[in-house]
Amino acid sequence: MQWLLPVIVFAPAIAGVALLLFPQRPAKLIAAGATLAVFLLSLWLYFGLLNGSATTFGDVLHPQWAVDEPWINIALGTFHFRVDYALGADGLSMPMIVLNALLTFLAVVGSWHIDRRIKFYLALILILETGVMGVFAAFDLFLFILFWEVELIPMFLLIGIWGGARREYAAWKFLIYTLVGSSFTLAGIFLIYVQTGGQSATYQHYASVASQLTGSLPLFGGSVSLPLVLFLLLFAGFAVKIPMWPVHTWLPDAHTEAPTAVSVLLAGVLLKMGAYGLIRICLGFVPQGVQEIAPLLGIVAAINVLWGAGASMVQHDMKKMIAYASVSHMGYVLLGVAGAAASVGGASLLDFRQAALTGATLQMFTHGAITGMLFFCVGVLYDKAHTREIDIFGGIATRMPREITLYSIACFASLGLPALAGFVAEYLVFTGTYALLPAQTVFAVFGVVLTAGYLLWMLRRSFFGPLNLKWRGLTDATLREAFPLAALAVVILFVGIYPQPLVDLITPAMQQTLHTVVQALAVH
Amino acid sequence: MTSHIDGIQIWMLAPELSVVLLGFLVLGLDLITHNRRVVAATALIGLLIPLGFTLSLVVKQDALTPDHTAFFHMLVVDGYALFFQFLFLVIGFGVLLVSYGYVEKFLRVTIGEYYSIILLSLAGMMLMASTGELISVYISLELTSIPLYILAGLSRSDTRSAEAAVKYVLLGAMSSAILLYGMALLYGATGTTDLTEIARNTQAALSSGNLVLLAADVFIFTGFGFKISAVPFHMWAPDIYEGAPTPSTLFFSVGSKAAGFAALLRVFIFGGLAAISGGTYLWVMVAIVAAVTMTLGNVVALLQTNIKRMMAYSSIGQAGYLLVGFAAIMISNSPAGNLGILAFLAVYVVTNIGAFTGIIGLADATGKENIRDFDGLGRRAPFIAAGMGLCLLSLAGIPPMAGFWGKLFILLTAWNQGSALTWLVVLGLINSAISIVYYANVVWRMFVAEPEKRDRLAMSGSVTLTMAVAVVGILALTIAFGFLLTGLGGGAGGLFPTATTP
Repeated sequence: MQWLLPVIVFAPAIAGVALLLFPQRPAKLIAAGATLAVFLLSLWLYFGLLNGSATTFGDVLHPQWAVDEPWINIALGTFHFRVDYALGADGLSMPMIVLNALLTFLAVVGSWHIDRRIKFYLALILILETGVMGVFAAFDLFLFILFWEVELIPMFLLIGIWGGARREYAAWKFLIYTLVGSSFTLAGIFLIYVQTGGQSATYQHYASVASQLTGSLPLFGGSVSLPLVLFLLLFAGFAVKIPMWPVHTWLPDAHTEAPTAVSVLLAGVLLKMGAYGLIRICLGFVPQGVQEIAPLLGIVAAINVLWGAGASMVQHDMKKMIAYASVSHMGYVLLGVAGAAASVGGASLLDFRQAALTGATLQMFTHGAITGMLFFCVGVLYDKAHTREIDIFGGIATRMPREITLYSIACFASLGLPALAGFVAEYLVFTGTYALLPAQTVFAVFGVVLTAGYLLWMLRRSFFGPLNLKWRGLTDATLREAFPLAALAVVILFVGIYPQPLVDLITPAMQQTLHTVVQALAVH
Repeated sequence: MTSHIDGIQIWMLAPELSVVLLGFLVLGLDLITHNRRVVAATALIGLLIPLGFTLSLVVKQDALTPDHTAFFHMLVVDGYALFFQFLFLVIGFGVLLVSYGYVEKFLRVTIGEYYSIILLSLAGMMLMASTGELISVYISLELTSIPLYILAGLSRSDTRSAEAAVKYVLLGAMSSAILLYGMALLYGATGTTDLTEIARNTQAALSSGNLVLLAADVFIFTGFGFKISAVPFHMWAPDIYEGAPTPSTLFFSVGSKAAGFAALLRVFIFGGLAAISGGTYLWVMVAIVAAVTMTLGNVVALLQTNIKRMMAYSSIGQAGYLLVGFAAIMISNSPAGNLGILAFLAVYVVTNIGAFTGIIGLADATGKENIRDFDGLGRRAPFIAAGMGLCLLSLAGIPPMAGFWGKLFILLTAWNQGSALTWLVVLGLINSAISIVYYANVVWRMFVAEPEKRDRLAMSGSVTLTMAVAVVGILALTIAFGFLLTGLGGGAGGLFPTATTP
């Protein structure tokens, strides 16, 4: 079954190029068919892996159904350059692969009404899907950075061509922020490759030498800790993507200006690339570097949570509000990772580390589903009303019962209502980090209150109360429009009520990562 | 070394010889027939003959003279030379094919004249990579350059073209003079013009405190610095790129640059000059030139409004990345740095041919060459625009195009030299981020901006075909980059004098 993962990764791009050769209508069907097929294949992979090994996908050292062929392998003098075509999936990447497949399929369905240059649009979305899949599936660091940059230009063009009024500014800002960040990540990859022997760049290699990666580097006459430098370089690109305060400012612009389906993908999966890099590469391969900076990372995480929530509070545009909410919610991921790596307590707090890290990983999945759904909701509303101004609406729940019910579910999930997906992840993160980084956690918890504040306030102002007569002609979402919303609502409810399957799969992968973290603590 | 000229030696010269003969044949054919297609087809099909000779030399390397030299060490046919011969023949194919339509429309010369000038210059370029002796390096450099001066001035009704030709001649002559001066010093210090002998003598000369050798190094580097448009010897490039007819510009940007590097590496590595530089801090000069070259090239490219000027600064920036690899060679005589340069050049050549094909296509159809004129090309000529976009992004180092691997590998080889070049690599990465702004700007104009006119542009078959080959080439090079490195490894390593190879 080794062919399955490569097909999932490359099929979208192939379909994306192929559909350009067809007329508009069949092209749409090809896009929908291909993304649906990839989603089904990803489910097959998910359950196939599950059945194959009884309970787990394995971890980074033991990926199932993985592919690993030498791609570039050259030795010359003392220099060795080796890149493996290595694809694999474990408990960390598999949920992301399924999420990406699902959201891309829904994005194609949600873009059905677009007529302007639709073939080009769909082709870019499908190439984007391949890039993101590759990031999650790559098991070699050079392959990872290759896929990491594939996503850039399609997203740049998607915002630039189909975006809102300030699309030019937003697209360029996105491009420049991401590029500058990823330049440093590439420098970090060079450094870790050379420092760990320069023989191989596979994840297995880095994971197995991670705890021995110590020492210092000469710098301007003094010396700095090698793991810390590695962490800072590698993290630079991820921090922009996550996005971490203070390099988050591209996000509100990009998310607000992008067309609905693209906002969904941006918030749903592209931000997760950063979080994935943080957990897989920073925490997994340079745990000591994360440890050295964990308290500070925790503080920045708390700032992320509160800053994002505070900014959401004062927005007048629904989409911008949700964009800032993303900044806030990705702060929980940062907090969870910082907690898991904190040097407090050593190995004795392993259960708390486990909870924090599992929570952070789960938050990646649930935030993707919830924010994706929120953006779809705003999109449907915008298509009907041609505005996203929060104060302009009023009482429209009576006119759009279907849309507003689903919108409310998404809002409740986002504010962490128990029995919906958001709660599980946030609860795990806070439970874990309170023991490890108490001060930071205490501040960050207020984010939950603020989130409830701005979401409920928006619900009251826009949807409930007396109907603003200007909107009496508003029609409800059609079944096609409501389909992506309903699909995501099902996912959110399921994970909220019964998160066990997902948690069970994430845990073993995280156990391995934490094993390295604790080992590194011991070495320290 | 054999003391007489025999069949094997002629065979070793056959690729260059057949290119020269083909040049004369094409020129003569112009007198007999006025059918442009016949002339063009003869040239393109004729290029298969030197290609065949080169491949036969690749396959039958054991049948050559034992030390792979001929004509009293003047000709060296090693893996390195054969790679460059192959590369120049690819350039020849690309340039001849893509210029077919342009020459008829904009230049008042016959196709035979134009092709024969290019072929003669091509023979010079092939020789630049394959000579093992200073005088023949110089002669092949002039054989390369003089046709290039003519190519710059071929738009006879355009004053910019005339200006370009005059500037090119004057600056070319000056750089040749500097190069000759360096060579003279080198001869004075070592008593020979044979590079193999020089490699043997330099170590002794330097250990006896011979600073003449250092001066020779600097002058020779400066002389070649003009050819590869390294800052501060780059001033000619933007004016001449802009003024020359576009297919000629393409030929300068790939052919002249690759030939400059071919000869530079030949003299510095094969001639043993790089081996002495580690202890002399000559590498610091090269590293600084590399840093300034890529930074100035990429930053100034941001400000350009003319696409050819932009590509001129882009090619200066690309020369900067190549010089990073050269700095790695200078610092530790590293074969990996040499491999990085060869692989980068291979990718750069294919990519730049593709990018210029787009420019030539637009010029063919509309006669315009400002960046603004690319507005909406994505809808007016989708295939050409898409292909050109991919090539520009490859130059910027965006995957999945091969430019990504080229840049990554050359920077990694420099990084591997220890902490001395780390700053240069980081600067290279930052430059790479800067460069994407002007490359992406063209992509933005082609695909996002609204055009003034919406009519479809008809692209000639030769332009479309060249673009298709270039795009397939850069995507194939991504996948086959491992094979490229493995295949070039021997040639890159074999250039180093055996005594000093680590």
